Amino acid sequence: MTQPRSLLWQIVLLILVIALCVFPFYWMVTTSLKTQVVALEAPPVWIFEPTLDNYREALFEDGVLRTLINSLVIAVSTTLLALVLGVPAAFALARFEFRGKKDLWFWFITNRMVSPIVLALPFFLIARNLGLLDKHITLVLIYLTFNLPIVIWIVTDQFRGIPYDLDEAARLEGASQWTIMRKICLPLAMPGIAVSAIFSFIFSWNELLFGLILTRSEAKTAPAMAVSFMEGYNLPYGKIMATSTLIVIPVLIFALIASKQLVRGLTMGAVK
Amino acid sequence: MKLRKLLCTSAIAGIVATGALAESHGWSLKDAAAPYAGTTVDVVFLLRPGYEAIEAMLPAFEEETGIKVNVIKHPYENALGEQVRDFVAGGDLDIALIDLVWIGNFAENEWIVPVDQIKADYPEIIDPDLDMDDFFPLVLNAFGGWNDTIYGLPFDNYSGLMFYNRCMLEEAGFDGPPETWEELKDTYGPALTKDGKYAFALQSKRNETQSADSFARVLWPFGGSFLNDEFRSNLNSEESQAGLKFRQDLMQYMPDGIVAYDHAETVNGFAQGDVAMITEWSAFYSTVVSPDTSAVADCVEIAPEPKGPAGRKPALGGFSLAVAEQADDDEKAAAWLFIQWATSKANAGEYLERGGVPARQSAYADESLAETYKFVPALVESWQDGVPEFRPRFAEWPEITEIVQEWGTKMMLGEVSTEEGAQEIGTRMEEVLEAAGYYDGEKPLAQ
Amino acid sequence: MQNKVSRGTLLGFLGPAVLGLALVGIAPLLYALWTSLHFFNLTKLKKIEFIGLENYWTVLTDGVFWQAMGRTFFLLGTALPLQIALGLGIALLLHQPGLTLLKTLARLSLVLPMATTYAVVGLLGQVMFNQKFGVMNQLLGGADINWIGDPQNAFAMIIFWDVWQWTPFVALVLLAGLTMVPGEVEEAARLETKSWWVILRHVQLPFLLPGLTAVLILRTADTLKLFDMVFTLTRGGPGAATEFISLMIQRVGFRAFDQGLASAQAVILLIITIILARIYIRVFYKEV
Repeated sequence: MTQPRSLLWQIVLLILVIALCVFPFYWMVTTSLKTQVVALEAPPVWIFEPTLDNYREALFEDGVLRTLINSLVIAVSTTLLALVLGVPAAFALARFEFRGKKDLWFWFITNRMVSPIVLALPFFLIARNLGLLDKHITLVLIYLTFNLPIVIWIVTDQFRGIPYDLDEAARLEGASQWTIMRKICLPLAMPGIAVSAIFSFIFSWNELLFGLILTRSEAKTAPAMAVSFMEGYNLPYGKIMATSTLIVIPVLIFALIASKQLVRGLTMGAVK
Repeated sequence: MKLRKLLCTSAIAGIVATGALAESHGWSLKDAAAPYAGTTVDVVFLLRPGYEAIEAMLPAFEEETGIKVNVIKHPYENALGEQVRDFVAGGDLDIALIDLVWIGNFAENEWIVPVDQIKADYPEIIDPDLDMDDFFPLVLNAFGGWNDTIYGLPFDNYSGLMFYNRCMLEEAGFDGPPETWEELKDTYGPALTKDGKYAFALQSKRNETQSADSFARVLWPFGGSFLNDEFRSNLNSEESQAGLKFRQDLMQYMPDGIVAYDHAETVNGFAQGDVAMITEWSAFYSTVVSPDTSAVADCVEIAPEPKGPAGRKPALGGFSLAVAEQADDDEKAAAWLFIQWATSKANAGEYLERGGVPARQSAYADESLAETYKFVPALVESWQDGVPEFRPRFAEWPEITEIVQEWGTKMMLGEVSTEEGAQEIGTRMEEVLEAAGYYDGEKPLAQ
Repeated sequence: MQNKVSRGTLLGFLGPAVLGLALVGIAPLLYALWTSLHFFNLTKLKKIEFIGLENYWTVLTDGVFWQAMGRTFFLLGTALPLQIALGLGIALLLHQPGLTLLKTLARLSLVLPMATTYAVVGLLGQVMFNQKFGVMNQLLGGADINWIGDPQNAFAMIIFWDVWQWTPFVALVLLAGLTMVPGEVEEAARLETKSWWVILRHVQLPFLLPGLTAVLILRTADTLKLFDMVFTLTRGGPGAATEFISLMIQRVGFRAFDQGLASAQAVILLIITIILARIYIRVFYKEV
C-alpha cells in the first residue's frame, strides 16, 4: 500500500524525531566529560579527550552524592506514604456511594494544579514556626500535595476496572470492605499501583522549588544542589552537566520501564 | 597534591609562629580555643576566590583549635535569601556573611553580635594582636559597621578596578587607559569596537550586578545619587540622568545582550580577548592573569576606574563576617575565633597569596607587592578615598535593589526611557522608604 | 450498583488521605490568606501589622503583576498550538503501519524529554544556547544569535524548550487516541477518500477529543506552575522578558522578602487556577 517514496519520508522523519529527543542528552553527557577549558571552546568541539573529573569532583568533593541520597530517601518515603494514604481513598472513591463525592474528587484534582509557589510561601513560614526547616520529613509531607492526587487518580481508575461481581461474592460470604480491598482488589490493581508509585517517585525526584526553599544543607535535594553551582562568578559547565546527568539517569530508567503507562499517568487516567 | 601539602605545612608553621609570638602576651589561639574544642560552627561561603583561599587554609585552623568549621556554599544570588531564611527560622548558622548592603538589615534585626559585645563577654578569646585600627577604616566601617557600631570584620574585600588589555589598546594606538568615562566612550569606544571585538563590557544582568555594578557605577561619577538629603529619589536630577544616559550611549561599544552579562560572562569576554576593557571587582584579578583561565594573561593591566565630572568614584563592595546572635555561647566563641583568625594580620599574607584580598593595611605595606599583584596600588587608592554609600546602605536595600534591577534593565533594553525608568524606581523606592517610617520621623535619615 | 457503607467505614478509608491532604494542602493556604492581609516582611518581622486588603489592592493595580500574567498566557498561547500541531504530526506518523522497530525506538525516545527533571532542562538550555560556545548556534550554521541576552530570543528559547519537553506528551496522548479508532472504520474511510485531512477531521477527531481536552487542562495548569526550567535558564531575564507568574511571586516573596504581598499574589493566582480548573473539569470529567 505504501509507496517507497513515502516510506523513505517516514524513515527520515522518524529518525529526525528520535534525534531531536535524544540529542540534548547526548550533549549533556558529552559536556559532562569535558574539562572547563574544552567546554568553553567556541565553536564547541565534538571530539575531545573525555575525563571523569567532573563526576569525581561533583560526587565526592561538592557533596552531590549526599544530595542524591537525600532525594532518594525523600522520594521513596513520600511515595510510600502517598500509597498508604491514597490506595484506601481510591478504593472508597471507586466503590462506595456517598454524598459530596464529586466535590472531594474536584478538590483532589485541584491540588494537582496548584502552583507550588502558592504553597511554598506559607509552608516555609509554618515549617519555620515548627522548627521543620531543612528536615527530610518536611519535603516528604509537602510532596503529598501532588503525589496523593496522582495515586488516588490512577488507582481509582484501576479499581473501577475490576469487575464488581468479584467483591459482591466476597461480601455475601461476610467479608468486610477492608478484606475485600486487600484480598481481592489489591492484587488485581497492582499494575496501576506500580505505575502510580513510579510517577510519584519521578515527580518527587524532579521537584526543585520546595527543595530550594525548605532545605539548606541536611536535607538538600539533588536539583537544588545543581542550581547552587550557578554562581555569577564562574560557571563550571562540565560539573553542572555531570550533576544533571546523575540526576536524570534514574528518572529516565524509571520512565522507560513505565513507558507504556506514561501517558495514562500524566493525564491522570483521562487517556487509557 | 604535593604543593598543597607543602602549603598546609607552611600554614601550620605560620600559625605556630603567630602562637609563639603571641605567647609573649600570654595568649595563644590553641589555649584560647581549648574550652571550645569540638564545637562546630556553620557559615555560608560563596564560590569565589577569597573563600577558596580560606578553605585551603582551614585545616590548619581546625587542627590548632579543635573547632570544626562547616562551610555551606551558595552562589551570591542565593546567599542573602539563604541567610535571611536561616535567621528568621532560628537555624544553624553561627556566622553571618554580610555584603556591605546587607549590614543595616542584619543589624536592625539583631541577627548579629557587635564586636564590643564579644569583647565584653569573652575577654579571654580576644587576640591581643587583633588591632582593629589596622583595617582600612573605610572598609571596616562600610563592610562591618552600622550606626557607629562594628559588627563584622572585613573578610572578602573588593574595590572596582579597571582591567584593560594593553595589547589591544596599543594596537589601536593608545599608550594607556582612559582617564575619564567620557574619554572611554568618545575616543576609545569607536577605536576599539570592530571586527567582533568591543571596547568595553559592563556587567548588567538583572540581579545585584545590575544595581551594584551597572546602575550605581554610572550614577556616582556623574554627580548623581539614589537619594537626596530629604531621602527622596534623586534619580531624575540632571546629574543622575546624565549618568544613566551615558550608560545608554556607551552600550553601542559593548557586546550585544549586555543585560544578560554577569561577572562570569564579562570576565570571560575580557579573558578571551573579545573585550578590551572592563570595570570589575579586584577579586577577579587571579582569574584574568592566570594562563589557565585567561588567553590574554600577558596583556592584562590594572588602572583605577575612570573619572567622571564628579571625580573618581570607584565601586566599593565586599563582605564581612560577624558572629550570629542565634548561636549558643560556645558557638559564639568558636565563631569569633574563626573570624578573628581568618581576618588576622598574621594570616593576611598567605590569604593574599592564595587569591584572597585582605583589608589589612599592614598587608600592603611592602612596596614590592605591586610588582606581583598589579591591582594593589589602585586598590589601596580606592580604599583611601571611596564612596562607602556607593549603594545606599540601609535596611531596606533588599527591596530597593529588586526595583532598581527591574527598571534599570528595562532602561538598558530601551523598554522605558531613562526618565520614565528613574520615575518608576523613584516612586517605588519612596513607597518602601515611607513604609519603613523614614518620612514620618520614625527613623532617622541616616547614611 | 455501588455500595452504601457505614460512616465509620467511609471515614476509615477516606479519612487518612483527606486529613493528610488537608494538613499539607489547606492549612498552608489558610495561613497564606492570613499573611496576605498583613504587612509581613521577612526582614522586618518586628513590624508585622494588619493592613486589610492593601496587599490585594497593590497586586490588582500593579501593572507588573498583570504583565507577568499576560506573559504566562502568551507563552501558553504560542507553545501549546505548536505542541499540538507537532504532536499530531508525530502521532499520525507513528500510527502508520510498518517500520515497527524504528517506531518502537521513536516511542521510547519520546518518553525521555517529558521525564527529564525540569531544572535540568534549563541547565541544558544554558549550555546549548550560549551565544559563543553553545551548540545551537553551531548547528544553525555558525549563526551568532544571542539567545539569552535578547528579550525576544530568550522568549523564543523558552518556547523551544517547552515544546521540546511537552510535544512528546501531546504526541503520545494523541497516538493513544488514534489507536482507539476501530480498525474497520478507518479502513472503510480510507477506501472512500485519499485525503488524510478528511479522515482526520471526520473519523479520527472524535477519538482525539478527550486527549486534547486533557492536554489543554494540564498544559494550562503546568504553564501557571512553570518555574524550574525558567529559573535555571534565564531567571526571568533579560529584564523581565521571561518572568512568568510563578517566578514573579517567588521573587517578591523570597528575594524582596515581602511575604504579605507575595501571599496576596499567590491567593489571586490560586483563585484564577480554581476557576479555570472548575471550567475545564466540568467540561471534562463529566462522568464522575
